[in-house]
Amino acid sequence: MAAFATDLKQKDLNQHLGLEGYTSNALKLFMEHLDQQPQSRLLDVGPVCQENVRFFASRVSKHYVCDMFIRLDRYIRKGEPVSQIWKELDYHPESFDGILVWELADRLDEQDVNRLVTLCHSMLKPGGMAVVMVMGDQIASSETKSFVVGQNYRIYLRPQPHLDLPLRGRQNRDVLSMMVPFIPAKSFICRPGFMEFLFQRE
Amino acid sequence: MLKKSKKTNAEPKVSTSPATMVDRTIIGDQIFIEGNIRGEEDLLIEGSVKGSIEMKAHHLTIGSKGKVQAEVHAANVTISGKLEGNINATGRVEITKAADFHGEIKSKSISVEDGAYLKAVIELEREPTQKAVPLGKPETKVSPEPKKEPFILAGKDSKGN
Repeated sequence: MAAFATDLKQKDLNQHLGLEGYTSNALKLFMEHLDQQPQSRLLDVGPVCQENVRFFASRVSKHYVCDMFIRLDRYIRKGEPVSQIWKELDYHPESFDGILVWELADRLDEQDVNRLVTLCHSMLKPGGMAVVMVMGDQIASSETKSFVVGQNYRIYLRPQPHLDLPLRGRQNRDVLSMMVPFIPAKSFICRPGFMEFLFQRE
Repeated sequence: MLKKSKKTNAEPKVSTSPATMVDRTIIGDQIFIEGNIRGEEDLLIEGSVKGSIEMKAHHLTIGSKGKVQAEVHAANVTISGKLEGNINATGRVEITKAADFHGEIKSKSISVEDGAYLKAVIELEREPTQKAVPLGKPETKVSPEPKKEPFILAGKDSKGN
């Protein structure tokens, strides 16, 4: 009942924003992949979100949460070098079966994107998968939003007003280029310019 | 300063205990404790604690001024301050947006507010899941509303499964 109420609230919010929720095929495939892993381990670097914590923690053996958005925000506010945030992702190589990157790359410059991709590649187990989003010009704004997972893989965008992050909109080809260490497993268009990518480590 | 307080419904955020009036100990913001804490009543920490906290049948609250570095065993835990350590809760863990938590959480259920500062490993009591369908199947049947759903721009069956 509570989840349903949350869905309704989010739906209203997204309609207000001109964006309906959508069913995430990438997330569905991603979770199917995790379901097949014994003792699955998932890392979510997205904004902390009640619905997502509950959803993922109930589906995997160990759900790792390291909100890189809020860390990025704090570093920027303090005037500290953004490059320092990567020490927060101090997990052992090949720790995870899956990583939720969301649209973190859109908040980073090229140098830090490369660092992010290298780290994700290192932290994923062989065969592990990563979910990457590209918001596109029509939906992207400087206001950071979280991807809130609802029932049946419906995703709604929820503004995160406590985060003030730069936006460096990337095109689809930029994402494919930056994720070159990975195999592009699947990609889906959700709205014009708004895409989901599923990448896999060999 | 250690205080005793009576918790009432006027302080709904302090405890999710069903009791309406329960004894609770407060560790004030000028107190530093190093060692092991065991208790048979609810505890609110606004000071600093380093060690372990064991109150398996009760509710631990780390207030906004609290700084705790400890292994925690409790029924329910609410974090509004800073906690570094592992939580083992038989009930619910509640993390507010003011929280700064680093550690592992094992609990029956969890609530987290947007804006909480977390680096956590979360293990919840899991419900039985359905057997997964292998990757690589056509995803055209995924959507209950085909016209509104995303479509495949480029696809490549994933490997390893």
